[in-house]
Amino acid sequence: MAEEKKIKRKKFDGEEVEIVGETYEEGVPDKGDNWRSKMENREQMLRYLKAGERYWFSDDWYGSERRKTPA
Amino acid sequence: MPDEKKTKKEEIPRSVDPASLEVLAECTDLQPIGTSWDRLKKQHPQCGFGLKGLCCRHCSMGPCRVDASKEKLKYGVCGVDSDTVAARHFVRMIAAGAAAHSDHGRGVAETFLAAAKGEAKDYKIKDQQKLYGLAMDFGVEIGDRAVEDIAIEVGEKSLGIFGEQHGPIPFLKRAPLKRQALWKEHNMEPRGVDREIVECMHRTHMGVDQDPENLMMQGNRAALADGWGGSMLATELQDIMFGTPQPILGECNLGVLKDDEVNVVIHGHEPTLSEMVMVVCQSPEMIAKAKAVGAKGINLGGLCCSANEILMRHGVANIGNFLQQELALATGAVDVMTVDVQCIMSSLAQIASCFHTKFITTNYRAKIKGAQHIQFEEHDAENIARQIVQMGIDNYKNRGVTKIPKAKCNMIAGFSHETINYLLGGVYRSSYKPLNENIINGRIRGIAGVVGCNNPKVTHDKDHIALVKELIANNVIVLQTGCSALACAKEGLMLPEAASQFAGPGLAEVCETVGIPPVLHMGSCVDNSRILMAASAVVKEGGLGDDICDLPAVGAAPEWMSEKAISIGQYFVASGVYTLLGTTFPTLGAEGFTDFLFNKHEKLTGGMWGFEPDPMVMARKMIEAMDGKRRALGLDKGKERVLFDMAMRRELDAG
Repeated sequence: MAEEKKIKRKKFDGEEVEIVGETYEEGVPDKGDNWRSKMENREQMLRYLKAGERYWFSDDWYGSERRKTPA
Repeated sequence: MPDEKKTKKEEIPRSVDPASLEVLAECTDLQPIGTSWDRLKKQHPQCGFGLKGLCCRHCSMGPCRVDASKEKLKYGVCGVDSDTVAARHFVRMIAAGAAAHSDHGRGVAETFLAAAKGEAKDYKIKDQQKLYGLAMDFGVEIGDRAVEDIAIEVGEKSLGIFGEQHGPIPFLKRAPLKRQALWKEHNMEPRGVDREIVECMHRTHMGVDQDPENLMMQGNRAALADGWGGSMLATELQDIMFGTPQPILGECNLGVLKDDEVNVVIHGHEPTLSEMVMVVCQSPEMIAKAKAVGAKGINLGGLCCSANEILMRHGVANIGNFLQQELALATGAVDVMTVDVQCIMSSLAQIASCFHTKFITTNYRAKIKGAQHIQFEEHDAENIARQIVQMGIDNYKNRGVTKIPKAKCNMIAGFSHETINYLLGGVYRSSYKPLNENIINGRIRGIAGVVGCNNPKVTHDKDHIALVKELIANNVIVLQTGCSALACAKEGLMLPEAASQFAGPGLAEVCETVGIPPVLHMGSCVDNSRILMAASAVVKEGGLGDDICDLPAVGAAPEWMSEKAISIGQYFVASGVYTLLGTTFPTLGAEGFTDFLFNKHEKLTGGMWGFEPDPMVMARKMIEAMDGKRRALGLDKGKERVLFDMAMRRELDAG
């Protein structure tokens, strides 16, 4: 892991403090972040569908649809 | 009701986009055809009955002009009144729009099936995960089966959905449970889109359905068969074949055309050809050929929704939106332009002939007099794409003086509903919860879907930009598709830094934390189905009601012009969303029917239409509607936040 970049900022009372700076890489990206490729095999893909996209693919109802009394 | 006459009489600026204005100032030699703005001027005064939806041409006893306010014109020859005339016309607009999206979807399904069977060797399954999702939706067994076997079954089921005769289409199950129950209760669950469109045409034939509200029940079914059927299938299958969009940097506006490269332009809506053209343009063999004729390379650019498709998947430059298609040719820099279906102006072949540009139609459904036709076949996709690019390379030497404007802008595209879900939590905690929480705590006031076309009746791009800027300034996050998205991209609203420049403090805080722009590009016009999915996810996440109509969410198409916009709007209305059109509204002459669409329809589906030509007033109406939903959810009452100290904590009753 890269070393944390520190930057100086003034607090509301004017006191200068050192805080952790931005963690993103500078510049313009030349390609997109292919997050879909993080799921490498069928098992991982199905697991993600059931958890990450649970609104449609979970075996159980989710969120407002699990609630007993309507909003 | 706003008076649209006010917007018509005055001479208005043609565009707010500096690149478009620059080309318009130069292109005075396109006679006799001119640009859409020139032709609109020549068309004035336009037919007042047609503008208000009061002209009926459905039988040869007419055409009838029907106007309830004039004693002589109260009834058509068959006895029809203005409300029924307007309703029939409106339902036919829905049918045409739904047909356009769904025929696009069917073409994609056919290519998908051919690819799955190995008959279209140039296409592959790129997103297996999405294929599995679709298999789960369709009840297709996954197990240990080969990907190709699953894809074949999914492809066959997909094609079958278009002609589904009886049962409701499967994607309705993706909607919130309460919405599904409402559709069932009102007998609004659509069958396959083919059947619903045929029924629309039957009912609107002379002497059939003459009850405006009953006609609209069919209009709702057809629109839902588009949004939750044909359009959604197109989006899903395209994602499986070409990849689910993920955030990607791109450039937009006429300035992306290049003086020293072969400019290949794709225009239309279907990504099947444009994906192949992109692959060919990147091949070292073709780049070498371009260099051999003196160009530095091949520059691929897109117009309208073909452009959105390859922009959001590959970052391919976007030349512009609907009203810029003629202007792209007028730069004199386009070596070859290929078009497929939808939103292609009839004028293009003539304008291309004023320059060296090769203008090619590629779809048997959409031929244009004066164009060269090369039929696109998915079985031989790459070869056909190579033939088209080669024509551009060969034509480069014929290029004359070019007038390419400098203006262009960076943008981030590719915010599919899956990607938004991922961005809000990562792989292990992907969720719409942070969005819901920030709507509940008030940092985000609501969600707006701003979509649709351009229309020369209003200043190009002005209303899109003014509306969206006003919305984000009031902490409304904006989801966009189609030409509306491109208008705002050109204004720099689709960059993360737009949050600090243009958004209200609450929205800016959320955008900066997540690292997203305040205006999210969700794709082409067929991808409005992604907005339906995002809205369903927000409901299902919880805390904002049980149905889409409970959400502080509103839709708008401020510069619409096509029948697809009516179908899109109607499927949002039928899904529970208040949806406003700008520019004009096609039923304004029929008071009773317009009142049904603008008011009574809300009792039916929780959604209704509205019309407002002034974008600032439109923004106010949208925000007021969102505030109304927030009040209904009890979110308007500020809760005092108290930081408990240890003494206060000790006093808490643990029981």
